[in-house]
Amino acid sequence: MSSVSTEPEILSPTETLVDVTSMPTPPPLSPEECAELARSAGLSELGVRPHRRHYLREIWEFRHLVWHLSSAQAYATNQNNHLGQLWAVINPLLLVGSYYLIFGLLLKTRGGTENYIAFLTVGIFVFGYSASAIIAGARAVTANIGLVRALRFPRAILPMSVTLTQLLVSLPAFGVLLVMIPLTGEPFSWHWLLFGPALVLQTVINLGIAFFLARIVNAARDTANLVPVVIRLARYVSGVFFSITHYAGHGLVSMLLLYQPLAVTMTIGREALMDQYPLTWSSWAAAGIWAVVLGAGGLVFFWRGEGRYGSD
Amino acid sequence: MEATETVRDRDRDRHRSPEATPGVICSELDIVYTVFGARKKATTTEGEQPWLERFLRQRRQVDTGNVRKVHAVKGVSFVARHGEAVGIIGRNGSGKSTLLRAIAGLIPPSGGRAWAAGRPALLGVNAVLLTGLTGSRNVMIGGLALGLSPREVRARYDDIVEFSGIGDFVDLPMSAYSSGMGARLRFAISTAATPDILMIDEALATGDAEFQARSRERIAEIREQAGTVFLVSHSNAAIRESCDRVLWMDQGRLIMDGPTEDVVSAYEASHRKGGR
Repeated sequence: MSSVSTEPEILSPTETLVDVTSMPTPPPLSPEECAELARSAGLSELGVRPHRRHYLREIWEFRHLVWHLSSAQAYATNQNNHLGQLWAVINPLLLVGSYYLIFGLLLKTRGGTENYIAFLTVGIFVFGYSASAIIAGARAVTANIGLVRALRFPRAILPMSVTLTQLLVSLPAFGVLLVMIPLTGEPFSWHWLLFGPALVLQTVINLGIAFFLARIVNAARDTANLVPVVIRLARYVSGVFFSITHYAGHGLVSMLLLYQPLAVTMTIGREALMDQYPLTWSSWAAAGIWAVVLGAGGLVFFWRGEGRYGSD
Repeated sequence: MEATETVRDRDRDRHRSPEATPGVICSELDIVYTVFGARKKATTTEGEQPWLERFLRQRRQVDTGNVRKVHAVKGVSFVARHGEAVGIIGRNGSGKSTLLRAIAGLIPPSGGRAWAAGRPALLGVNAVLLTGLTGSRNVMIGGLALGLSPREVRARYDDIVEFSGIGDFVDLPMSAYSSGMGARLRFAISTAATPDILMIDEALATGDAEFQARSRERIAEIREQAGTVFLVSHSNAAIRESCDRVLWMDQGRLIMDGPTEDVVSAYEASHRKGGR
């Protein structure tokens, strides 16, 4: 830290306090004596990353905080206008309408799909949840810096509650989805029950990405500006409004596009809800692997930064 | 100097006395934080310097651009015991609030080390509750963040709301509150959990006289339960009334640490000498 102490003073030096320097404070304990005293009194050190197991236990102890933060903020999302919570349903419907106009009628990207409206609706709602969760998750720490500086809790709570908030905000849209799908002519099937597990896998994937991004953005906050750009790019290559296998074939590029996490979540969503797409073990296994890798990897990555959040 | 000697001896004894267990220990604590959006305007003198010198100087500065590092706390060391009420005084920008946040475990130290017993609760005028949410949501979230269970928060909910005295406003978003109401609710939430360490940042200045009296009572209760209380205030009267020890901060440094009367008198004397 010696490099830091040479920084210029931000406070303008005012009059010197002559009287005081002649009345020195009692000589403090040496760093070693302090450490010894803290150890014997059983104090815990501040600004130090807790042990991994201890961290998990702390997160578990604060699970109610995750829920209450998320539900309160999800409710607050649509509070400041007259139609209130209705917007959670109106917004995705308007989105489907405009996408159908552009891609279904004008650009005709419906190749390879039997039920384009169902295809498009699943894509928009599933991707929309991922997009909002990742964008909000990237700012989970920096946007809640007031909370970070006011209360002490394991910071992993923040990406978790932000992701859960976006899930709760998206639930009305998924409700609309389940009403729309049979209206577009899809037959009822037991497969529909798999949409629940698909949503769980997607949530874990989103959370994992949020863990990674939240720490990166906290360390270098300019990167937050890149996240929406990358998400927009992903929206155009992940098969939200066109079938990847129809337009990109079955080569390596198509495989990469098809099995990246954001596309996989849409694939398993369509396999759960649409007759045209039978369940394939490869999609669900890919989603499961992504969930484990990103979820666990993200938590470890985020935990390694614990103790440094709030320093900026 | 006689008096100073005895102060120093007594303080040394306190550091080493075995009966009062420490609640907070700071050892050569440094806090540097980054501020964004703080571009420094070039002054006229800089403009008159030769371009080469200007160039070299700019290269040397770490904080060019709109990012700046502020060295808010410099090498502060002290030991606070259970049952002590410690006041922190000093001018605006002397690092008082930053020190408080650091020992609450909210801002990681840039240098040195700090230890604390249990889970500290920081209560400041600036402490952010979620202003878009209602008071009752904030009671629940604040209580949970202080480590209470949902059942415990519900059990204390009526007490918290009653103590804060905000009445029906509890169902309105906090953005609709007056600053005094917000401060009172924060105080009520922060003290609901009887924290091991209570840190109060100017909060008492905002309430009315009746609320100030009630909060003083609450602080006394927490001290009786062997907690440590820190109070940052610009009101020397409030410090004299509630604290038995005072830390005086100036420009990030701890320049005096001792019994309330000694330190506050010296602080007041420095104002007069400073010709204010």
